Amino acid sequence: MTKGVKICILLICILLVSSVILVIIFNGKSENNLVEISQDGKIIYTIDISEKNDKFRIDSPDGRYNLIEIKDGKIRISEADCPDKTCVKTGWLRSEEIPIVCLPHRLVIKFADERGKK
Amino acid sequence: MKTERLVELSLLTAAALIMFVIELRLPNLTAIPGVKLGLANIVTVYAVYRFSVKETFLMVLTRVLLGAFFSPNFSAVIYSLAGSMLCLCGMIPLKKIIPIDYIFVCSIIGAVLHNTGQLVTAALMTGTTAVFGYSPHLMISGAAAGMFTGLCAKYILKRLPKKFKRRNENEPDEFT
Repeated sequence: MTKGVKICILLICILLVSSVILVIIFNGKSENNLVEISQDGKIIYTIDISEKNDKFRIDSPDGRYNLIEIKDGKIRISEADCPDKTCVKTGWLRSEEIPIVCLPHRLVIKFADERGKK
Repeated sequence: MKTERLVELSLLTAAALIMFVIELRLPNLTAIPGVKLGLANIVTVYAVYRFSVKETFLMVLTRVLLGAFFSPNFSAVIYSLAGSMLCLCGMIPLKKIIPIDYIFVCSIIGAVLHNTGQLVTAALMTGTTAVFGYSPHLMISGAAAGMFTGLCAKYILKRLPKKFKRRNENEPDEFT
């Protein structure tokens, strides 16, 4: 094994260990209630999900849709006509760092920044 | 380009495309966007170690662009393009210091770079940096997928019949 290979393996190990640590940190549940929904980089909704249960539809400019469900202070995409359905599988939004994304529709649901509330 | 080499490259592109199409039919098992096995990248890794820089780029570019015809959504081609180009830019210099026996190391780095390229594209497309929250997940899945593709490429490189290999290892690459 040459020196170059060893350095590469070391780099990969560092990357993997830090990734595992980050995954664990990111898994924490958020207490924030303010949620931002953005499409194409523009924030289209800012909702307080603790207020009421709701179901609504977001149509993307190219005629496709995502159904958003808010229930008991949680939010998720309950239905979508994107090809991969990853956004639906993501389930309820829980972590501050990990958003729900629907890449084909360029839709992102995430908790609003704490700083942005003021 | 010699006809022989052209045929070889075309065959490999076709093989990569078939793997790409087969993989499209497999459902995404995880809830994390962008996690894929990347079967077609077995061919990419193989090509990096076997062909010249120009030939590799040509082959991967052809595969990505032709793959767009099979993709359910056209924007996917932008992600693959960004990912595969960044991956090649990392792997081609690395093959100088990583021998074939450790090809999976090179392939892991390539896969991680591939996912990085796709994440940056996703951030640009959605216009938010929130997607980077998935980066640790994608690094881990990329490393696993890269390990797999790298090992596959290693065994292909080692087991391919002699006739298929470059007859003389010192023969200069035509396009470098």
